[in-house]
Amino acid sequence: MALRNIVQTVASTLDAEMARNERVVLLGEDVGKRGGVFLATKGLFERYGPDRVIDTPLSEAAIIGAALGMSVHGLRPVAEIQFADYVFPGFDQLASQVAKTRYRSGGQFTAPLVVRMPAGGGVKGGHHHSQNPETHFVHTAGLQVVYPSTPSDTAGMLRTAIRGDDPVVFLEPKRLYRAVKEEVPDDPDFMVPFGRAALRRNGDDVVLISYGASMAETARAAEALNDQGIGATVIDLRSLMPWDAETVLEAVARVGRCVLVSEAPWTAGFMSEVAAHVTEEIFDELLAPPVRVSGADTPYPYAQDRSYLPGPRRILTAVQKVLEY
Amino acid sequence: MIRSESRFEAFSDQPLRLVGDQGEWLGAFELDLDDETLVRLYRDLVLARLLDERLVRIQRQGKSSFVAPAAGHEAIQVAMARAVRAGHDWLFPYYRDYGVASTIGVPLVEIFGQMMGTRADPAKARQMPSHPSSRPLKLFTAVSPIAAHLPPAVGAGIAMKLAGGGEVCVTSFGDGATSEGDWHAALNFAGTQGAPVVFVCENNRYAISVELHKQSGSETIAEKAHAYGMPGYRVDGMDVLACYYLMRELVDRARAGVGPSLVDAAVYRYGPHSSADDDSMYRPPEEVAAWRRRDPLPRYRAFLERRGLWDVKAEEDLRSELNVKLSAAAAAAEAAGPTPEAWMFDDVYAEMPWHLLRQRAEAEA
Repeated sequence: MALRNIVQTVASTLDAEMARNERVVLLGEDVGKRGGVFLATKGLFERYGPDRVIDTPLSEAAIIGAALGMSVHGLRPVAEIQFADYVFPGFDQLASQVAKTRYRSGGQFTAPLVVRMPAGGGVKGGHHHSQNPETHFVHTAGLQVVYPSTPSDTAGMLRTAIRGDDPVVFLEPKRLYRAVKEEVPDDPDFMVPFGRAALRRNGDDVVLISYGASMAETARAAEALNDQGIGATVIDLRSLMPWDAETVLEAVARVGRCVLVSEAPWTAGFMSEVAAHVTEEIFDELLAPPVRVSGADTPYPYAQDRSYLPGPRRILTAVQKVLEY
Repeated sequence: MIRSESRFEAFSDQPLRLVGDQGEWLGAFELDLDDETLVRLYRDLVLARLLDERLVRIQRQGKSSFVAPAAGHEAIQVAMARAVRAGHDWLFPYYRDYGVASTIGVPLVEIFGQMMGTRADPAKARQMPSHPSSRPLKLFTAVSPIAAHLPPAVGAGIAMKLAGGGEVCVTSFGDGATSEGDWHAALNFAGTQGAPVVFVCENNRYAISVELHKQSGSETIAEKAHAYGMPGYRVDGMDVLACYYLMRELVDRARAGVGPSLVDAAVYRYGPHSSADDDSMYRPPEEVAAWRRRDPLPRYRAFLERRGLWDVKAEEDLRSELNVKLSAAAAAAEAAGPTPEAWMFDDVYAEMPWHLLRQRAEAEA
């Protein structure tokens, strides 16, 4: 075990996977000598050289498109998009090319690649350094979409992404990049499967469900509830496509009340899917309607950087609502 | 800037031509292809033309929903396929390139299967017609979004360079593609990496209805290569020998590590953009007729006849031989029948996730 934060874990996991498999290559803007603007590829250029750690031109379409061609040829590329907000020039490559390669070729060609991107707000970055674009990807059949919130999950899920046979959009909670350190397993084959949620806390009064950076606020809200004598079950979805409906349904059916926390915009956000699914599947078990706490349907604001986020106060208000329903 | 000695001049004022209107050799060097190669190129041209005629016909018969006619593009398409090593090098074509597919050796039954959406299509009838693919021949699955296959072609080229196996990637597109951001992103990246990619513009002067001068303020497509540090070549894309000689040289140079290049091949599509288009709304009939006089087939046939390599009998024999093959392939593709409904849910992922299993079960219920 080694004590690491999330961004250190990204670098150490990439390092281990590159050492293990020479077909793993990195590409992106500033991933070389600079080690990435967040240092997520620190030291790898020195260790693996310019053929495997490729500083690309400043073009997200080139980065994602080239990653696809590399993967079709047999490499295992891990592309970095500097901020998730900058994925859109490469979105056509993801949506029209990467996501559909296996399907449109009838399985003749596949796209085993990873596109990493730091996402989320709370860093005073305004609307072009703060967004949570996961729903765009979830709505694009053929992509897997994951959004871990802890160093260990980052290690396990990044490894699963690199070794898997399908393209993965790997969202990283940049607000939490250096927020916490934890003991990360050293096992070179430590993997966290996709489509399995993590139960972070057990309680009998309400189920709080979240993912990504919002797990931090959700955990604080659960702690505050505990101080008030209210027991919260906390579920970290981790993986959005596929997502773990089973764990969610089981917990919500047991408790009867749930609050769904995501910092992405409210309308048609991923938690709208969770709410719909819970309502459709276990309506009779519900003691209150699922309530969403989310970002607003505005561009991500600069001045209101913190208040945009679903913080503990708003989560607690929502919990109050479902408890009093 | 990537440079090397070349038999042909980059950024030339006039497109390279090696065969004149009467079939005469125009080259400044001695023709050094053997008779078998010369005749094979003609067979490829005729096959591509007859295939195109069939594909247009089956669309009109209602057996196919769409077709993007390729007649007029055959010479550059044949040259691309013959310049590479089939099954070793990679091709990233666009949707009008079934002349590339037929020449490289994609079985005709697969091409017809793709056009009719039957089980004979190796891609399981997942795409609309005119989108060929072949894994064994490394013919990457064509897409509809314009120029979107170019960044992947460059990535594949970078991977080839890393692998060190002497593979080359040839990718093709129309003139409209040169306006897309992906086109510039791809050439720019290829230039920085010296990737072994030959970019081929099948420049038919129209992106559906929009003329070339509205597409670009550049005098030529070829000159755009200069900005990306690679040579750009103009070629008469309806002169199969000029196309073949040029493509062979650029493929060999890429294989030798010299880097990427761009070809601006002047062609004309005789038909509409697609079966959903009416080209009489934007092209004067005199213009179409003028380009038909430069048709790659009769011109190259005259070249072969002047050298005693072809005659009326050979033409008749070839056409009847190919027609038999085409009829048999079309019939076999049709007989293969439609793909099962349940195939809709396969190949989204390597393993089917729960939500697709559920949707499939509901569809079958």
